[in-house]
Amino acid sequence: MPDTIIEMKNLTKAYGSKTVVKSIDLSVYRGEIVGLIGKNGAGKSTLLKMVAGLVHPTSGELHFFNRASADGQSFFERMGVLIEQAGLYPHYSAFENLKLLAIAYGLPNANAQIDRLLKTVGLENSGSAKVKSFSLGMKQRLGIAAALLGSPDVLLLDEPVNGLDPQGIVEIRALIRELNKDGLTILISSHILEELSKIATKYAIIHQGEMVEVISADDLLHKCEERIELRLEAIEAAIPVLERELKITDYKVSDNNTVYVYEEGAQIRQISKTLIEHGIEIDSIHKHQQSLEQYFLARTEQAGERHA
Amino acid sequence: MLNLLKMDAYRFIRNKTMYMLLLLFCAFQIFGIFMMGQYSQEMEAGGGVAVGSLDASEFIQYTLSQPPSWMLLYITVFVVYFYMSEYQSGFGKNYMSMRRARIYTILAKIWISALFVGLLFLTMLVSDWIGRGLFFDNTTWGDAGYFVKLLIGQFLLHWAFAILMLCITVLCKNLLAGVIIGFVLALNIPGMLLGALESLMNGVNISQYWLVNTLVAVKDFNDAGEFAQTLLVAFVFIVLFAAIAVRHKIREDLN
Ligand SMILES: Nc1ncnc2c1ncn2[C@@H]1O[C@H](COP(=O)(O)OP(=O)(O)OP(=O)(O)O)[C@@H](O)[C@H]1O
Ligand SMILES: [Mg+2]
Repeated sequence: MPDTIIEMKNLTKAYGSKTVVKSIDLSVYRGEIVGLIGKNGAGKSTLLKMVAGLVHPTSGELHFFNRASADGQSFFERMGVLIEQAGLYPHYSAFENLKLLAIAYGLPNANAQIDRLLKTVGLENSGSAKVKSFSLGMKQRLGIAAALLGSPDVLLLDEPVNGLDPQGIVEIRALIRELNKDGLTILISSHILEELSKIATKYAIIHQGEMVEVISADDLLHKCEERIELRLEAIEAAIPVLERELKITDYKVSDNNTVYVYEEGAQIRQISKTLIEHGIEIDSIHKHQQSLEQYFLARTEQAGERHA
Repeated sequence: MLNLLKMDAYRFIRNKTMYMLLLLFCAFQIFGIFMMGQYSQEMEAGGGVAVGSLDASEFIQYTLSQPPSWMLLYITVFVVYFYMSEYQSGFGKNYMSMRRARIYTILAKIWISALFVGLLFLTMLVSDWIGRGLFFDNTTWGDAGYFVKLLIGQFLLHWAFAILMLCITVLCKNLLAGVIIGFVLALNIPGMLLGALESLMNGVNISQYWLVNTLVAVKDFNDAGEFAQTLLVAFVFIVLFAAIAVRHKIREDLN
């Protein structure tokens, strides 16, 4: 049984008559990197704000370490947060902003840690320049440093690479992966599935405030892998043929009359010929490949129709 | 709470606006005494107060009773600015997930405003002393016991006003609106309206318990009853509006 660190149960947020997050259930286990994917306005930021204790849920429960949050307010101490714009004092320098936060956390001798963090995010040369003179990317980097201050156990990052240059994106991805290796649990949002595909271990797809799908990175890759989709009635008869005659071992029975064949080098012509030779009728057979983005769009469009 | 208080104190001592306000107050206070000196002869001739011969306590009471209450204006600007600069920057989002951070951040601001009111009083005492020395050649303090009671009473009333302003700012979350409301309160427009309303209804007299009325009223602090009433009004306002501010902060969504 994996170690749950955050558990959301029926988490709902309404602003006036508009429900922007609807009954979300999601468990985050220790050491995971959960990618929260959704279009603009899907409710990603709102969900993260509830987890961070910034916004009070209208209903539902939020548990940390399996402990219910008291009267709707989270009290998860060791949480680093960067949601939407970084909260920074414009008339203070990068160092002073982190210094203030270090005082709030009660970190002793924080100066060395602050210098180290500024270096990690590439702001070691910002010196006494005030944050108001920073570029968007620099503010974002400082926001990431602020979230990392005090070595949190959980990191909530809302579109953290927003405004970063390509090199910055690569750096932050590498940083996230490294932090995760050291045991940090990360909840990260994006509206681009591709962007997270290299780091997330689990995806949660959210659409119009609803959780459409929670899927592990492995399953997702499997779904988007190149495969041959085979539709037929007599599945029980077909399987032994696939295994024995065609030596296919990497396949999956998707439902009562669909088989996915992932086997490398498997040929449509070969499969159909062999099956027909054994008297098995095929309804359809075709090659299927989907990009992550196509998959995401398909999922959200489907949901969109359903809830239209 | 100590950590958040330390953080706000760090911000407080590096706050240029705060020093500017104190300097401005000092300059205007001395200038005001200079102007009183210019017109003191005419005022006395017209049956007014002989400001030049007042001791320190009497002088403070006299200046506080003259509208508008300048110190309340400085307190307004400081409190609204100090709270809103954090709120607008969104800096609080970084630490609000900590346990009880919402309560402590308000309490920290309450203590910091006490510090500011203290500094304001210190500035007032120094500038009164300089001004009266220069223009009235009078630096008498008067009765020490009375002086201390006056300072305690007025400090608490001003601090209560700072907390009232903090509460208003927490509720309205708007710099301009906060300052405007503060100015309306400092001019004691609500107090006057309350008084007018009372004169229509015979027998009712609650306006004397209104904070700003208590603050500007010239009282005998040696009278136990009047002193007690001052303390009571200050205490009620402090507790009431601190509680409202904290309660609102706890329930607030930080977007
Ligand atoms: N304070 C608020 N008051 C009213 N409505 C709000 C508020 N905050 C968010 N919303 C609404 O909630 C919905 C979800 O917003 P949210 O910011 O969570 O989306 P998001 O998934 O983060 O989008 P994006 O990718 O653009 O950042 C939006 O329709 C938005 O208009
Ligand atoms: Mg968002």
